[in-house]
Amino acid sequence: MNTNTVLEVQDLKRTYQLGSIPVHALRGVSFQVNAGEFVSVLGPSGSGKSTLLNMIGALDRPSEGTLAIRGTEVGTLNDNQLAELRQRVGFVFQFFNLISRLDAIGNVELPLTIAGVPAEERRAKAEQMLEKVGLGDRMHHKPSELSGGERQRVAVARALVTDPSFLLMDEPTGNLDSVTAGEIMDLVDTVNQELGMTVIVVTHDPDVSSRARRKIRLVDGQIDSDEVNNN
Amino acid sequence: MKFKDTLGYSFSAIRLRKLRSGLTTLGIVIGIAAIVALLSFTQGFEVSITDQFQDGFSTDTLIVSAQNPMQVPGGGVEPSDFTMYTNDSESIETVDGVIFATPLVSSRATIESDLTSTTAEVTGVNYTEFAALYSTTFVAELGAIPEEPANDSVIIGQSLYDPWNNGTYFVDIGDSLTVTINAGLPTEKNVTLTVVGVLAEVGGSSFGVGPSDSGVYLTLDTAVDFFESDEVKSIVVQLVSDNEATINAVTLDIEALFDYEATVTSMTSLLDTMTTMLGTIELLLTGIAGISLLVAGVGIMNIMIVSLMERTREIGILKALGAKGRTVMGIFLTEALLIGVIGGVVGIAAGALLANLFSGLLGGGFTMGGRTPSDLSFGTITPILTPELALWAMFFGVVVSVVFALYPAWRASKLDPVDALRKE
Repeated sequence: MNTNTVLEVQDLKRTYQLGSIPVHALRGVSFQVNAGEFVSVLGPSGSGKSTLLNMIGALDRPSEGTLAIRGTEVGTLNDNQLAELRQRVGFVFQFFNLISRLDAIGNVELPLTIAGVPAEERRAKAEQMLEKVGLGDRMHHKPSELSGGERQRVAVARALVTDPSFLLMDEPTGNLDSVTAGEIMDLVDTVNQELGMTVIVVTHDPDVSSRARRKIRLVDGQIDSDEVNNN
Repeated sequence: MKFKDTLGYSFSAIRLRKLRSGLTTLGIVIGIAAIVALLSFTQGFEVSITDQFQDGFSTDTLIVSAQNPMQVPGGGVEPSDFTMYTNDSESIETVDGVIFATPLVSSRATIESDLTSTTAEVTGVNYTEFAALYSTTFVAELGAIPEEPANDSVIIGQSLYDPWNNGTYFVDIGDSLTVTINAGLPTEKNVTLTVVGVLAEVGGSSFGVGPSDSGVYLTLDTAVDFFESDEVKSIVVQLVSDNEATINAVTLDIEALFDYEATVTSMTSLLDTMTTMLGTIELLLTGIAGISLLVAGVGIMNIMIVSLMERTREIGILKALGAKGRTVMGIFLTEALLIGVIGGVVGIAAGALLANLFSGLLGGGFTMGGRTPSDLSFGTITPILTPELALWAMFFGVVVSVVFALYPAWRASKLDPVDALRKE
């Protein structure tokens, strides 16, 4: 394995039991992502995108095959080890998933709080990250006092504050208008290029996937194409 | 996650749902307040009884009776036909460790003054010996306790002297008093006596022995003549000392003297019996209050499960951000802990307030059972809230809260993050 590899997926399979019927969500997927890459995973609904996303985010374990995050094999970990691994994954969700009773800075601090980082250190990191996403003046606003775009910026700041192995985004613009979506993707571009952060974005929005420099297309639980983006 | 952070996070969750958290906490408050109020009141009651017991009764005395004085009438045990007579006191006086023994003859009788009539326990005693036994309570407030009383002497208790507490006296010193036994029966007879003394207020209860505020005391000889019987209710024995060895030795000797048919009660053992009884009452009350605390616990569990369902997504987010099962469990348990602590503090304060309110309402005229108030009046009871009681109440409040939160917290910790995040 290349030391530059942040994610390595080998013949990954995931089968669910829907009642007595087995559902093959992923039927053997292999690819790897290197540091600094900007990869989009796209495909129609039912293609296994979400299943793949859950496993890349260390929320779920493979049925067969392997998935390694910075060399750590996900399938062999217990629940606690999996939780610790998630502290190294920067998750951004379609529905923002902020804690409504915490203000922006409280939300950004949360992963650090969970990881047991001392209060002063995490406050400083969170402030810095909110400045970076352009919300330096909105730190003490609750999510309900922020616009959709601002909320997603908070979510991006929260994902980045732990200095993760990669930024994993699930339909990050699915809940935003096209202008705001463009702004968020500009931010993601900046994060990728200026901070050198690896970005994996799962989407079915062509505008989003066109920003990526590599496109992985999933169809029926298998990779249909894996190509460099020419745009 | 550090405990301080868990605490802060849990507190923000509680604060968000003020009404719900408030009502859940109220359950604990009521449970704790009930425990604190009932127990501090019972403890105050116990102290008040013990004090009066020790004030009013000498610990260096024994009571010998034909029947068990603590036996409930009609309580299932066949009363024995053993009886004792006034001259039995002479044989008791032969026992080592006994200074003297004085018999008490008594009967329920109607007493009539110029003003009105009432019923009371009329007791024949040897004034000098009785006064020696009960030197703090058989004391005249008005008149005197004559050393060589005339046969028609009578001494009455304070509440009989001033039954209405308003200065209208039933009889006064020097007035005559008519005592009638078997009123309405063919064997009805009466005797007219002269009041020579009124006892100072005794307070407390006589428990069948010792001077009482509602007592009527004749001389022993008059009583024996009048009742036409020298059968005694009990014989009070003055011991040389109140140490346990003396009490036990004399008790055994006297029991042997009457072929183990007489009941010998020491004041100490009577006090022990009282304490045991109060302990039982206390346990019962604690049980009742404990039930309300349990109900509060079920309330917490219920609310936690509802909260768990509402916050499934939040739990999913926490887990996606790297929270372990035990972190999530910690958050839920800390919420319960906070509810327990807040409920405990407020409950203890409310309980103390309630107990004082009780004692204020009952102060002075607190009575028990269906007897005349003066028979068993305990005066004002000051509730006693010991630090131990407060600590235990706090402890139980917290334990109940946390224990009932265990199951919901465990369920929260076991939620699958993928499922939890999918939940709307």
